[in-house]
Amino acid sequence: MAQHQVNYLKDGGLPVALTTIDKVVNWGRSNSIWALTYGLACCGIEMMASGASRYDFDRFGTIFRASPRQAELMVVAGTLTKKHAEFIRRLYDQMTEPKWVISMGSCANTGGMFNTYATVQGVDRVIPVDLYLPGCAPRPETLQYAVLLLQQKIRRESASRAQKPKRLM
Amino acid sequence: MQQANRLRPFFENITFDRADNELILNFGPQHPSAHGQLRLMLHLQQEQITKAYPDIGYLHRGMEKMAENMIYNEFMPTTDRMDYIASSSNNYGFALAVEKLIGLEVPRRAKVIRMMLLETNRLMSHLFWLATTALDIGAMTVFLFAFREREYLMDLIEDYCGARLTHAAVRIGGVPLDLPDNFIADLRKFLDKLPENIKDYEDLLDTNRIWLMRMENVGVISKEMAQSWGCSGVMLRASGVEWDIRKEEPYELYDEVDFNVPVSDKGDNYARYKLYMAEMRESAKILYQVLDMYEGTGPELMAHAPQYISAPKIDIMTQNYSLMQHFVLVTQGMRPPVGEVYVATESPKGELGYYINSQGGAYPYRLKLRAPSFWHTGILSDLLPGHYIPDVVSIIGTTNIVFGEVDR
Amino acid sequence: MRAYTPKDDVQKKPYYTDRYWVAPQVAKSDVSEDAVFAADFEAIKAKFDVLDAYIQVGQMVIVINAADNFGVIELMKNELAYNQLSELSAIDWLAQEGKFEIFYQMLSMSKRKRVRVKCKISEKESIQSVEKLFRSADWSEREMYDMFGVVVNNHPFMKRILMPDDWEGFPLRKTYPLQGDEFAQWYEVDKLFGKEAREIIGPEIRDSARVDRYDTERFARLGHEVPRGADISQGEPDTPLCYQENEGVFMIEKFDAEKSVVISDRDR
Ligand code: SF4
Repeated sequence: MAQHQVNYLKDGGLPVALTTIDKVVNWGRSNSIWALTYGLACCGIEMMASGASRYDFDRFGTIFRASPRQAELMVVAGTLTKKHAEFIRRLYDQMTEPKWVISMGSCANTGGMFNTYATVQGVDRVIPVDLYLPGCAPRPETLQYAVLLLQQKIRRESASRAQKPKRLM
Repeated sequence: MQQANRLRPFFENITFDRADNELILNFGPQHPSAHGQLRLMLHLQQEQITKAYPDIGYLHRGMEKMAENMIYNEFMPTTDRMDYIASSSNNYGFALAVEKLIGLEVPRRAKVIRMMLLETNRLMSHLFWLATTALDIGAMTVFLFAFREREYLMDLIEDYCGARLTHAAVRIGGVPLDLPDNFIADLRKFLDKLPENIKDYEDLLDTNRIWLMRMENVGVISKEMAQSWGCSGVMLRASGVEWDIRKEEPYELYDEVDFNVPVSDKGDNYARYKLYMAEMRESAKILYQVLDMYEGTGPELMAHAPQYISAPKIDIMTQNYSLMQHFVLVTQGMRPPVGEVYVATESPKGELGYYINSQGGAYPYRLKLRAPSFWHTGILSDLLPGHYIPDVVSIIGTTNIVFGEVDR
Repeated sequence: MRAYTPKDDVQKKPYYTDRYWVAPQVAKSDVSEDAVFAADFEAIKAKFDVLDAYIQVGQMVIVINAADNFGVIELMKNELAYNQLSELSAIDWLAQEGKFEIFYQMLSMSKRKRVRVKCKISEKESIQSVEKLFRSADWSEREMYDMFGVVVNNHPFMKRILMPDDWEGFPLRKTYPLQGDEFAQWYEVDKLFGKEAREIIGPEIRDSARVDRYDTERFARLGHEVPRGADISQGEPDTPLCYQENEGVFMIEKFDAEKSVVISDRDR
């Protein structure tokens, strides 16, 4: 799980001094988040819907890419099973820094309704997560709001330093 | 924690470089056009596939085990997550199986509403199939068009049950709610526009050179192969077998409505595409008839069987005995008679069957979900050899598999 | 005294069952009541031992000896026009009688009839594959092996299908708990990070009713964000939902609820 403070602006300032360069880089970064398609189950359908006609993700600069090398955001949409766990970690490792993870849906957050032998009880056991979306399945609006929140988060980070290692649970 | 990464998956033991010039290609489990978590091990001679091993189970969530640990009503929302593109048809299959087990007759209005749900779900599923398959083949426009219509249907379903994707809109013994006020008018409006929309897709695809090249004479399934692999639904009908459970073993009101079962004997991708389009038109036809049926039905929504089904809310609130019954049914669950039942329904993907073995307890002793996609994935191992790499995507597309259903 | 839980069946049980309650039965009728089934039954009976046969919920059920399974299915396919094997799986009766029950759900499209063929084998026995007759049995038998550990003879590729190859245990047996044994619970951690990481990552949280409302170390509630680790047991301040920082972002228009239009016609 990510070590991040929330609402920095309100509660005692920023973690690092942001320079103009940071701002410019972050501005670009935050407005062109390319997400890795990681539709695992039902939530993946809602993720597709948010990229399709009515919800139209492109207007936020978010484009789904199929290759981890081109992506900086991983939207884990759906149930992660024990059999799949090694692959999600592998793809996460293949993504280039800086990278963020949104865990979409109760299954990805905590295992959700599948409290069984075959389901990983939350992707944060395997990869660090920045944002959790509740819902089964979360509506496309929820995912879009999450991306907007993530944009705000990116704009508050230092752009030049390597990302702080995020910790798991 | 990041440093300790000791990934050694199994396929790293495979020699990818072999003396006989055979290449082994790993496809998936996270491939954008695999429609979920399908992993294929493909043996290639140049671009041609010589052997294919589908590997499934990446979405195995243990639903059958869950069913053994849940009371019957509790399991209903879990069935949503099987074929999550057309959730209500799963709900319905389960409800029907339990109703057959306890021998219930559902009130007519509930039947009409269920028919509406089933057919709107079929439309949603076929539209989604069209969208994703077209996207895989590169027809982005069709994807956007089809999703536009699908969103409209999802809105309708949301009006009815409050959920877009995971409906749980059917209960054992009936349906929980009556239709909202303008549901019928809205649905009619949609259906009036549907032929136009379908024509749009067909204009874009039917004579499209690329579409034809990737679809025609690709992925030909013979009649024998389809039957031997237990195919059902469009996969079977495209191979020339006229078998639609709605027609042959009618359930609900399918014996009262008039519709055709489109069949083709080509067996290739294009035939399947054509059948999906034709089925959408048939669904619209059924829906028109069902919409007319709604008017003449009584207000009953749930079957009356105090031993198994809770009384209507108004009774629970006002009558002591109904309240007690409800309490027992919710906390302990209904106890169907001892026996077993296998009920097949025609879901948008094919024959969706529920086998329930009840030992008279509140929990099913064994519940087997017979999901059509499981065999439609299995057939890939026989179907793919001989084809070329680009055909893999279009074949997976037209088999219309959903991994919630394959792996359960 | 702790309540006794049987070890051979760890599935959930209702918390209360009336002592005098007798479960009703789903009606079984005689095979002779349906002409098609009766003819099929006679044809099978002429060649094989039939232990039991009846019609239940519109389908014929035939119980045979496990050794005859290939022969019966072959007869049904070739002579009785049962052209699809829709389903094949097992039921675990190990606790009651030490046996698995295997059922074959057959469908005849020309007759529009469904028949369920059943047989029983003990835990150590194996059964003949029907994959030669129906390709669909290929995957079903693998699934049966995966879930129950029923070994199938003459199968071309007897490996696990749904669970990973290195999985231990057979999940659908009644002795297997719903939430998995120790191997299952640590599977992904062991595999990815090694056993030594178990302590760092910690056990799975399986209690779905667990609510840690005041955990500000790891979670912030949307609209109520507070600094990390703050004590919120006395309530937390509201933070209005915002799509953007207050000062705005360069070149990106700020969402204004007042100026936005609500589309009422959904057909747009
Ligand atoms: S959270 Fe719900 S909708 Fe999402 S993958 Fe899990 S079960 Fe499906």
